[in-house]
Amino acid sequence: MPVGEMGAFLLFLMIVFLFGKLWFHFIEAILRRIKKLFTHYKKTSAWHPLSPDKED
Amino acid sequence: MGLFSKLFKGPEIDMEKSNANAKKMRTLFNQVVEDGDKYRLIFGYTEDVGRFNYGFVHGSKTKIGNLIVGWNEVSQTIVVVPTVPDLSGCGDPAYYRRTEILKAYRNKYPTDAFIIYPDKKGYIGINAYDWLEDEKLYVYVSQDDELAAFTDFFMNRFATK
Repeated sequence: MPVGEMGAFLLFLMIVFLFGKLWFHFIEAILRRIKKLFTHYKKTSAWHPLSPDKED
Repeated sequence: MGLFSKLFKGPEIDMEKSNANAKKMRTLFNQVVEDGDKYRLIFGYTEDVGRFNYGFVHGSKTKIGNLIVGWNEVSQTIVVVPTVPDLSGCGDPAYYRRTEILKAYRNKYPTDAFIIYPDKKGYIGINAYDWLEDEKLYVYVSQDDELAAFTDFFMNRFATK
């Protein structure tokens, strides 16, 4: 296989990979938005930061 | 020989960092748990594996939840406090008293996690190891002795079967 064809094939694979990544994050963002719509009224659990005075 | 032993030596534990984190774990635990000093502590984590299928992209994703796990031999109680790898804070504690739980046992497959069912509705699976190197995902702490003590307590005095 000529080097040019190999390069084109690798480029094609890279484009597929990048598009897959973009697609994944796009769907994740939409699902997060939808989830937020249904759970925004829920009380968030308490969070206690580490007290700086007690930390050595 | 010296060179080879250095080359093939596994990762070394930074005990200074580990001790500092053990102290932070104790501070956080005592902040949210009454009489926190009556509990011995280990670091544990939960693993939530979910599969996804977004058309032509599918696979699985894992969510890790860091935990400070305290146990009291006398009251046969395990307290679980959610935290983050840098130990900058923690959530509210959850108490698992042996007299109140539905069942507790050590899993065999796929992981040897410590499983506690507080009721029929849900369960918690606590994974614990003597040391985990990846400090972006887990609390950096070395805990051989504490893990052995916790395992002994769980298997011989807390597990229900």
